[in-house]
Amino acid sequence: MAKKKCVAMLLAGGKGSRLNSLTKDLAKPAVPFGGKYRIIDFTLSNCANSGIDTVGVLTQYQPLLLNSYIGIGSAWDLDRKDGGVTVLPPYSESSEVKWYTGTASAIYQNLNYLKQYQPDYVLILSGDHIYKMNYESMLEYHIEKRADVTISLIEVPWVEASRFGIMNTNDDMRIVEFEEKPSNPKNNLASMGIYIFSWNILKEYLEMDDRNPDSSHDFGKDVIPLLLEENKKLFAYPFKGYWKDVGTVQSLWEANMDLLGEHCELDLFAQDWRIYSVNPNQPPQYISSDAIVKESLINEGCTIEGEIDKSVLFQGVTVGKGSMIKESVIMPDATIGNNCLIEKAIVPYDVKIPDGTVIRSFDDEIILVTEEMLVGFIQLVK
Amino acid sequence: MKRKLLGVIDATTYHDDLEDLLTHRSLAALPFGGRYRIIDFVLSNMVNSGIRSVAIFPKMQYRSLMDHLGSGKNWDLNRKRDGLFFFPSPIVDSDGNKIGSFELFAANMDYFYRSTQEYAIITNCYTIFNMNFRPILDWHRHAKCDITEIHHQDGTSMEMYLIKTSFLIKLIETRHETGYTCMKDVVTAIHNGYSICHYEYDGYSVMIDSIESYFSTSMKLLESDVWKQLFLKDQPILTKVKDEPPTKYVKGSCVKNAMIANGCFIGGTVENSIVSRGVKIGKGAVIKNCIIMQKCHIEENCYLDSVILDKDVKVEAGAHLTGTNRSPYVIRKGSKQGALMNS
Repeated sequence: MAKKKCVAMLLAGGKGSRLNSLTKDLAKPAVPFGGKYRIIDFTLSNCANSGIDTVGVLTQYQPLLLNSYIGIGSAWDLDRKDGGVTVLPPYSESSEVKWYTGTASAIYQNLNYLKQYQPDYVLILSGDHIYKMNYESMLEYHIEKRADVTISLIEVPWVEASRFGIMNTNDDMRIVEFEEKPSNPKNNLASMGIYIFSWNILKEYLEMDDRNPDSSHDFGKDVIPLLLEENKKLFAYPFKGYWKDVGTVQSLWEANMDLLGEHCELDLFAQDWRIYSVNPNQPPQYISSDAIVKESLINEGCTIEGEIDKSVLFQGVTVGKGSMIKESVIMPDATIGNNCLIEKAIVPYDVKIPDGTVIRSFDDEIILVTEEMLVGFIQLVK
Repeated sequence: MKRKLLGVIDATTYHDDLEDLLTHRSLAALPFGGRYRIIDFVLSNMVNSGIRSVAIFPKMQYRSLMDHLGSGKNWDLNRKRDGLFFFPSPIVDSDGNKIGSFELFAANMDYFYRSTQEYAIITNCYTIFNMNFRPILDWHRHAKCDITEIHHQDGTSMEMYLIKTSFLIKLIETRHETGYTCMKDVVTAIHNGYSICHYEYDGYSVMIDSIESYFSTSMKLLESDVWKQLFLKDQPILTKVKDEPPTKYVKGSCVKNAMIANGCFIGGTVENSIVSRGVKIGKGAVIKNCIIMQKCHIEENCYLDSVILDKDVKVEAGAHLTGTNRSPYVIRKGSKQGALMNS
């Protein structure tokens, strides 16, 4: 196997329980986003655009859809003779099945995958976030600082800082202290869960962590504190730009709404940093004579006969006559009947909304439509 | 089906009437329906009918066609065996409008000798239709025909022929003795002793041979009973994918009766029009009865009625361009239209 300078390991086993029924039968990285994409498209596209051509994707929770979605990686130009995408599910060794118990154990159990490429550096990523980032620049920074580990940080609002892992640095950006969800944060630089490790350090510390029976085998909770304790060179890499953890129904909706308007922080139209996705190859969208479309993002394969205002519509969505979709996210192949009103809601893929349905939020809480909810509604009108 | 039917697409056709749109591309590569090229229809039909070996015979200006088809991956034709074959014509001065020219095939006889498929379907490259070829093969075998010619409902030829591969090889080999130069010669000749059958196709199908038919067929896509016949879930028309984001509608956009591809940025009014991938339409601009091809940029406050904009055209702010239904105003690829250059 050819030697690779840097191999990426993408943690894609996230369950995303706070996304409720959206993640009932798919992993969080596979959740649809932005009218066309799945969350994992952003990280995979970042890899492709950063020139990283060897990516191990660690799956565990509900992997079926994710595995077939990633396939051999051709959508992201990651179908390579050497390297490319490899899906790495948990496996059994002699008598015991080793589930990935934490982020560190997931990587530890795939050290053999990494060893075959003899990498100098390993980039550890999470498939849960929406952002555009050049990992190559981060790697250059890591090399320049002669760091053992480089951690990417983003400035978060002070009020939210206690929800994150907060890094305290010295003037040279060397990390001196790490606090996981501190009640009184000393600064507002939060870890984005993106790490570059020099290979020897990663190998040594993962083996050490595996031998520790008290460890929960998590990078943030166990490995990073241990490295700090042993005075290793940990550097902070400040990231500026759009970054969002879409962990809840509310934040998923917000991130979709962030894409509307003429100028948005996350520019999907930028030619020099394309976000790739598995293309559904559907006909262009059809907007009928009765339709009104205002400030929205609409994908191919849609048929619109109603009114769409400040909404995101994925491929293959049908909206019937007299219906009004306002500030909502309609996922792939959902069908909205005639004379419906949907406001501040997320309609999951393939859901059929019967004629005359009214779904609207009276407070600011976003409604995640479910089949059960619709059954209840139909009984109500009868 | 894998071993049964060979697909042969004659992509040498040139129509003088489409000249403005064909200066730098072949007819087969003419953009259509916002995201397709004309050849996508027949090629997808072949793939959807289970055909696994397709030969395309292009002539001149085939750069854009090759770029579009690539390895055939988007049609699942990048196979180890069979798949997509490209046979550019070495004959420069042949009559480009004879579908299934034997002289053309003769230059690539090895393809026919080596193929194991028992039958071949020979088609033109410029028909807009969504047809499954499986029933016609069954019909052809059952009726024991030598050649089956597919007809429109009105009895005119669709210039598509089903034939046994071995018989096709014989016709090509004996072309000098028989004087038959193409499939049409064989089916129109009388007293040659072959059984020529006609298969009537009753679905939607239009052959694009003039600006007028190109324009009217494009506009027909806006009628739901037409697009419902062309874009079927289980028989999709496949094309080259572009990784464009979804289309963005911003404040001031007003769109009615339009087909809009991905990656567009719409700030103005669009009515009764087909808009291709990656088009920008500025605020206050009005686009009516137009075909706008890929990556055009129409700036603020333009007014366009019955215009075909070829790829990469830039229309500067405030320009007025109008054509008519019968004779739409065609603007050539890559040109720039200033506000003072009126039609």
